[in-house]
Amino acid sequence: MSEPSSTPALEMEAVRKVYEVADEEVVALDHADLSLGSDEILALVGPSGSGKTTLCSIAGGILSPTEGKVVVGGKDISGYSSKQLTEFRRDSVGFVFQTVNLIPFLTARENLLIVDEISSRDRKRASRRADQLLEELGLTDRADNLPSQLSGGQKQRVAIGRSLMNEPALVLFDEPTSALDTKLGDQMVKLIREEMKSRGTAAIIVTHDDRITSYADRTVHITDGRLEA
Amino acid sequence: MRLALKELRRRPGRFGVATVILTLIAILLMFLGGLLDGLTAGNTGAIRAQQADLIVFSATSQDSLVRSRIDPEQRRKVEQVDGVKTVGEIGSVQLGGRIEGRGLRDLVPVVLFGYQAASKGLPAPPTSLGEAWADDSLEAEGIEQGDMILVGPARSPVKVTGFVSDTRYAGQSTLWASLETWRKVQNENRPDARVAPGVSQALVVQAPAANQAGLATRIDEATGGNTSSLTEDEAINALPGVSSQQSVFNQIIGLTVLIAIIVVALFFALITVERIGLYGVLKALGAGSGTLFAGVLLQAVIVTLIASVIGALAALAFAAAIPAGSIPFIATGPRIAGSTFFLLLAAVIGCAFSLRRVLKVDPATAIGGGQ
Amino acid sequence: MFLALREMRRAKVRFALLISAIGLLVLLILAQQAIQTGLITSFIGAIERQSAPVLVYSVDGQRTLQGSIITPPLEKKIRSTEGIATSGRIGQGTFTVKVNDEPEDSDAAIIGYTDPAVGAPDQLTTGRLPNRPGESVGSDNDFKLGDRVRVLGPGGPDQATETIEIVGLADDAQLQVTPTLFVEWPDYVASVKSANPDAGGILPSAIGAAPVPGLDPETLAGRINDASDEADALTRQAAADETPGVAEVSQSFQVIFLLFGMVVPLVTGLFFLIITLQKSGSLTLLRAIGAKSSLLVRSLMVQVVLVIGGGLAVGIALYTPLSQAQLGDIKLSFDVGAVLLWSVLLLVLGLLSAVVAARRVLAIDPIEATTGEGGR
Repeated sequence: MSEPSSTPALEMEAVRKVYEVADEEVVALDHADLSLGSDEILALVGPSGSGKTTLCSIAGGILSPTEGKVVVGGKDISGYSSKQLTEFRRDSVGFVFQTVNLIPFLTARENLLIVDEISSRDRKRASRRADQLLEELGLTDRADNLPSQLSGGQKQRVAIGRSLMNEPALVLFDEPTSALDTKLGDQMVKLIREEMKSRGTAAIIVTHDDRITSYADRTVHITDGRLEA
Repeated sequence: MRLALKELRRRPGRFGVATVILTLIAILLMFLGGLLDGLTAGNTGAIRAQQADLIVFSATSQDSLVRSRIDPEQRRKVEQVDGVKTVGEIGSVQLGGRIEGRGLRDLVPVVLFGYQAASKGLPAPPTSLGEAWADDSLEAEGIEQGDMILVGPARSPVKVTGFVSDTRYAGQSTLWASLETWRKVQNENRPDARVAPGVSQALVVQAPAANQAGLATRIDEATGGNTSSLTEDEAINALPGVSSQQSVFNQIIGLTVLIAIIVVALFFALITVERIGLYGVLKALGAGSGTLFAGVLLQAVIVTLIASVIGALAALAFAAAIPAGSIPFIATGPRIAGSTFFLLLAAVIGCAFSLRRVLKVDPATAIGGGQ
Repeated sequence: MFLALREMRRAKVRFALLISAIGLLVLLILAQQAIQTGLITSFIGAIERQSAPVLVYSVDGQRTLQGSIITPPLEKKIRSTEGIATSGRIGQGTFTVKVNDEPEDSDAAIIGYTDPAVGAPDQLTTGRLPNRPGESVGSDNDFKLGDRVRVLGPGGPDQATETIEIVGLADDAQLQVTPTLFVEWPDYVASVKSANPDAGGILPSAIGAAPVPGLDPETLAGRINDASDEADALTRQAAADETPGVAEVSQSFQVIFLLFGMVVPLVTGLFFLIITLQKSGSLTLLRAIGAKSSLLVRSLMVQVVLVIGGGLAVGIALYTPLSQAQLGDIKLSFDVGAVLLWSVLLLVLGLLSAVVAARRVLAIDPIEATTGEGGR
């Protein structure tokens, strides 16, 4: 469990991401400055193609920036190699993707244990943590079900559980409510807030749904690769 | 690693295709190998049974038993060569055997050997004239201990006193008798290849290991270049067809392994394509390419082992099921192990083709994915 | 056509792998077909090449020239059978020989005949039959015109032995995978005596016989067998087919062909099933926008034909240079009939194997495009 500390969860300074697509330069992210407190929940709102996915990917150590500085949980990952980024993601970041979240041939519990599986750390400790998370998320009786046997909301909760397994400094949520109806979507964001706050973990929730912003500590809008306060 | 195993167990259908095809290829490899082994054993049993350190033929025989002639004078010379421990004469004649109860034109081809020296493969020759050990392949023809076989146009009687194993020659069953019996049968049935007393076709030489170096040359010098002394392996390679059979079969087997590599590469490439999404997620969660590829390798190895086991069982079942003498096929441990090894090699190499694709998977595809 | 080709172009690697796998399989099948034919011909080619329509062995010979001996009483009985127009002696032995001045000795099977009409080769590729002592016709992949072959004897190089000159060549004329020479009877006797100076009277290995006009060889063979229990008379083709070992070789190869033949449709069928499943999303989309099922199935079949055709082309192209070569002692040949047979067979099997994939295509319901379940 991370203790409330003054180390910011995320610091991005003058981050730029440029792609070369068929001889043209596409600026996905332009001069992004962003700072996130150690237990702050940020809603990142913007239309499709606005660069919010790119920003999330850089913050999560999936992409390297073309320019700029990225510090996550006190670690400067700006110049990390691919291998170092892989390790970093394993140990310090949690992800809840929009789709393809769960591995279809693993049970809910096994999906939680996947991170430990990848890094083969302390199996017993991971096991206990998995059971604890499952209980907190109300999924104990679903622990041995395959994703095909779970509802949309249950699947998202499993994904949230998995994202917390490695006690990350930061959890990234990519459109967590897009596949849920209004009521379930509401429940989901409430649950996210509860889980993050009770652990003091920072989170960035990418969404195009303005209603969700009421649950975040702060909202940042992004359009055409540029952040607006 | 465990992830890879879980996927195999929970989604066997996905790997079913590759397994079926690899099993077929495993059966192919083991069949080709078993056929080669069967042909070779049937050709070379008689020679291997001698367990000779050297076999001495006459120089003009082209190392062929039936054309070779060793007279008593040459035998004496060989015995006196420094390092030679024992010398045994050996002779052969190929004739048709008549067995009671079989049709008029239904003869059993046999090669009757006359020999002196017992070895691990052969007991001492029967002392009585007209008696012989029989290779157990003759049991499949319905011959039992004590039966009489009438050999050759002269119907020379030969009584079977017991059976020996793996002593066939040139693909035919054999009878093992004393030199006297052989000479009698040869002269009665092959007047144009009559052998005088004391004359044989080749000599089986035993020598202590310390003296074996250069012994063949010394023997051939001692007989004035009138003999050709060969090791057991050289004698086997001199048998007609043996070395060409082996090279042809080995080439076919080699090409079949190549086909296995291509097939594994193909089907694992297809499997990998299906799992790109999964790999994206795993990489985003922090799995390295090495871990993922090790999983793929593990799956390929397990699938191949399963295919090999089924192939081995099929080969053993086939060996048991075929009527004796119809197809020369034997299933041996080394051959099954060897085929499995090559199949595993093919699986590993075939997988390597998917390595690039696994390496290329970008974890960023997991985010914002709608596909 | 358009769809089929486009997809293949986009997925070059997998289709290339499949075509190369099939190509290698085709190569192996054709090569083994040629090996089987070459093997059998190198064993019994001489039997089929010699001119006698009926060959009579002694029963003890087990249908090989090497094992057969015709004693004088048997010879008398055979030759006095009714219906024989011509008959002649045929003798065979295998000898150590020296060809020209080659440093190494080699083997030769020598076949002697008394009457060229029943025993000499029925067809020559070049040259002529012997008409003087010391001449012979040789198997054409072992000898050249003008080669001199000396039979070696136990007395070493000083012994005076039979020497034979090649004046004619015949193809597919080997016996027991050995270079083979056809000579007149006196030369055969001289060869035997060279190799074994102690040899007594030389008896023939078989009698060659030709039936009178109006009588077929099979009936004549039957009559000769009736005339004596010691005789084993066969037509020329039967003598070739029933040589021990030939049936074994054929049977072994049948199993090999069966196994290899199964691999091709299996690999093809399963490949197309997998890629059909993988692109079911696109297929559903196509159906939703109005493509007919039959179009999609036809597209699939076009790919199957292209893949198998491609594999056949690769395999045949690889095989053609191989077919001109000799594999060890076995001479290979390009058998057009076999190539055509296997081409048709594999194409048909390939199309049949794709039926499962085709059924999957036909089972697609366009409504799934809207529910998003079309993809896997």
